[in-house]
Amino acid sequence: MKDIIITRDLAYPIQLVWEAISNGNQLAQWLMTNDFQPIVGHEFTFTTDPAPGFDGIVQCKVLRIVSEQTLEISWRGGPLNTILQIDLEPIPGGTRLILRHSGFAGFNNLMPRFFLGIGWKGKTMKQLDELLASSHAKGH
Amino acid sequence: MSYIANNQDAFKAIADPGRRRILDAILLDEKSITDLVTLLGLSQAAVSQHVKVLVLAGLATARRQGRHTFYGANPVELRTVNAWLHKYERFWEGKLDALEAHLAQKIN
Repeated sequence: MKDIIITRDLAYPIQLVWEAISNGNQLAQWLMTNDFQPIVGHEFTFTTDPAPGFDGIVQCKVLRIVSEQTLEISWRGGPLNTILQIDLEPIPGGTRLILRHSGFAGFNNLMPRFFLGIGWKGKTMKQLDELLASSHAKGH
Repeated sequence: MSYIANNQDAFKAIADPGRRRILDAILLDEKSITDLVTLLGLSQAAVSQHVKVLVLAGLATARRQGRHTFYGANPVELRTVNAWLHKYERFWEGKLDALEAHLAQKIN
């Protein structure tokens, strides 16, 4: 499965952006309540409102920190066991932020073949659409 | 972030390698429990249990024909799971908007 990758160019100096993503109090202001500490191996949680089937707690662990450059944490919420990585790069007039959320369990083997048709009995997206259409016609 | 609850069952269902193999096997053609046991070399009990989980998660459908039940993949539900990923993407877009607002406040 493809990772979620989002790139944002921010009109703010890299020190300021780094502070916003590596300081627990600041993370709480734009992301979620947490007990984050910028220490590799530190285990912490992000908490949000519970929803049916989700206790509102994301279990995390700091995996990698390179000051003003990279923050990598594990991200486990419900059945999801994923990795969140945020990279910063200086650009003229500010900072480029690249967020990558990867490792969606269960998708890795099944989904690429199912949705992209790669190696899946030579099925193409068109054929998949036909399959979906016929499935829909059967009353799903 | 309530959408994290959506498709929980589907996520759990496809997190298991045995169930992914079954889904693969029934993606194009319906199969009976006996077919799956022969095809995958798993025990009848294991196949039955996996199939039950897939059906409950909405990822597979059961169709009775005479004395046999045939199982097929439900691609519509699989597509729903894929849509769930896009929701997560939108979650991050929203959070990065919040980050920008936070930074704007910091600099002023």
